[in-house]
Amino acid sequence: MNNIIEIKNLKKTYENGTIKALNGIDLEIKKGESVSIIGPSGSGKSTLLNMIGALDRADEGNIYVADNDLMQKKDLSKFRLNEIGFVFQLHNLIPNLTVLENVQTPLIETSIPDKKMEERALEILKSVNLSDKINQKPTKLSGGERQRVAIARALVNHPSIILADEPTGALDSKTSEIIIKLLLDIHKKENVTLIMVTHEQNVANMAERSIYVLDGKIKEEKMNTPTGINI
Amino acid sequence: MKFSNLILKNIFRNKSRSILVVIGIAIGVAAVVGLGLVTDTLSESTQNALTAGAADFSVINGTNTGNNGGSGSGGGFGNEQFVNQTSVGEIQQISGVGSAVGVLRTMTNLNNTNSTSSTSNSGSGSGFGGNFRSMTSIIGIDSSSLSMDNIAITNGTVFSNSNQVIIGQTAAQSLNKTVGDTIIISNQTFKVVGIYETGNFMDDRGIVMSLSELQNLTGNTGQVSLILVKATNGTNANTLATTIQQKYPNELSTSTSLSGNNRMNNGLQVISSGAWAVSLLAIIIGGIVVIVTMMKAVSERTREIGVLRAIGWSQKRILTMIISESLVLSLIAIVVGLAIAVGIVELITTTHLLIGIVPSFSALLLLKGIGVALLLGIIGGIYPAYRASRLSPTEALRYE
Repeated sequence: MNNIIEIKNLKKTYENGTIKALNGIDLEIKKGESVSIIGPSGSGKSTLLNMIGALDRADEGNIYVADNDLMQKKDLSKFRLNEIGFVFQLHNLIPNLTVLENVQTPLIETSIPDKKMEERALEILKSVNLSDKINQKPTKLSGGERQRVAIARALVNHPSIILADEPTGALDSKTSEIIIKLLLDIHKKENVTLIMVTHEQNVANMAERSIYVLDGKIKEEKMNTPTGINI
Repeated sequence: MKFSNLILKNIFRNKSRSILVVIGIAIGVAAVVGLGLVTDTLSESTQNALTAGAADFSVINGTNTGNNGGSGSGGGFGNEQFVNQTSVGEIQQISGVGSAVGVLRTMTNLNNTNSTSSTSNSGSGSGFGGNFRSMTSIIGIDSSSLSMDNIAITNGTVFSNSNQVIIGQTAAQSLNKTVGDTIIISNQTFKVVGIYETGNFMDDRGIVMSLSELQNLTGNTGQVSLILVKATNGTNANTLATTIQQKYPNELSTSTSLSGNNRMNNGLQVISSGAWAVSLLAIIIGGIVVIVTMMKAVSERTREIGVLRAIGWSQKRILTMIISESLVLSLIAIVVGLAIAVGIVELITTTHLLIGIVPSFSALLLLKGIGVALLLGIIGGIYPAYRASRLSPTEALRYE
């Protein structure tokens, strides 16, 4: 199977069924693909991302991610640890830990020895050009640097999928471009599947494929050119 | 990065909050250990007074009941009447009596600065005329029979003539006297030749001299306050006490250590219950402080917990992290609590608020303190930890 994600008729409601966050989503994403999910607030794009990342369970339908049936799988935390790397809008770094320690936090759950853990974190931080900031606390970093630390943290466990929820939402346009380029660069180099939720069309266009979500359904899909021009 | 390092970093992240938790637990530890120290010491001292020593029971004047609590001479000596010393020899002749020793007791108000004093024997009814806390008991007993009153020399020797005395270790401290010093009692100078210990905090505040000398000093020649009786091997002490009482109806009365024990035990139980009630209150207050503070700590980190869950941490890992933080704070609180407890008890004893109480630390008391701290740590940490571990990652990430 070439698809890393297969979703069929996925439904999710909140508030005792009164809010239909996902209303029958069908989606297939190939391994190593970059996909942007775009749509207005409340359209269900973040809910869809949370379902793929196993942060929440759907009410109905089927969802297979990296050969895992998420409707049936019991230990979702282990799945997240092994397969998913999250990048949040508000970086969500732990303020009392250094950059190096923040990047190592996912590895605490693994059985990797301390030295190996540190080596891997240093290697990832080097790839996001933060080798000189490893002992700094997040509060001393700029918004772009914090997001790069968050990306490093998402990559440290070598996930098969990176899920980025509005990764540039709190950044200025210049820094946004740097962060998106970094994510796309990592996606290509590591052949990792990248799924970004965004409400910015120019950011969405930088992915290979854009999916437009409205009222919990996929309304439109577009293939993008590497230059960001829709085809 | 080690998981343990993360726990330690989290603890020192918000110092004021951690200090509050430590104080909460330390209050519980200090209450249990501090009050336990006092009650244990009282209990131990009383038990020593009642059960230790060679005497099985004491014989007192038949009209002086209710004051003499035990077999040792540590019993009551207020407003008592004397026993004729000839009774000592008579009792010695009774079948089943191993030995009988006459003891005279009185109280005196010694002046600490010049060590001059005037004795006021209890028989005259003026023994408690002064402030009890400043009174010193004077015991008259033959030097060869000191063991009958559980008196053990810890420094120096036993008195060998009428101008020599031995003093209890608490009295030695409070009077600032040691072997070789002199002490003036009723305008008569005595040389301190030894320091003794009985294990009874009352007797350790006293001075012991020869029976004849104290009789002369108090004008009670031929009289004793009580007779300490030791039964021969195989003789039931209670039966022997009854025999003696029946032989001297309306004249002599006996008090076994058993009856004294019962009375003292009742009193000690009341003290012990009171101490536990106060400790329990402190534990409850400490527990509430810990729970509320840990709940606040977890609440403040809701979003962070959501992130940790999102990056793959299990519920068990979150639970372990929060409980471990609480337990590490408990370990710090053990040290703080013990320091507070010992400090307060030492302060009380050195300032003579509790005269004669020498704190005796026991492993059991230490374990109680540690147990209370760990219990508070677990109770205080388990609910916040459970709540944190049950947080839905999506809800936690939405938390503002």
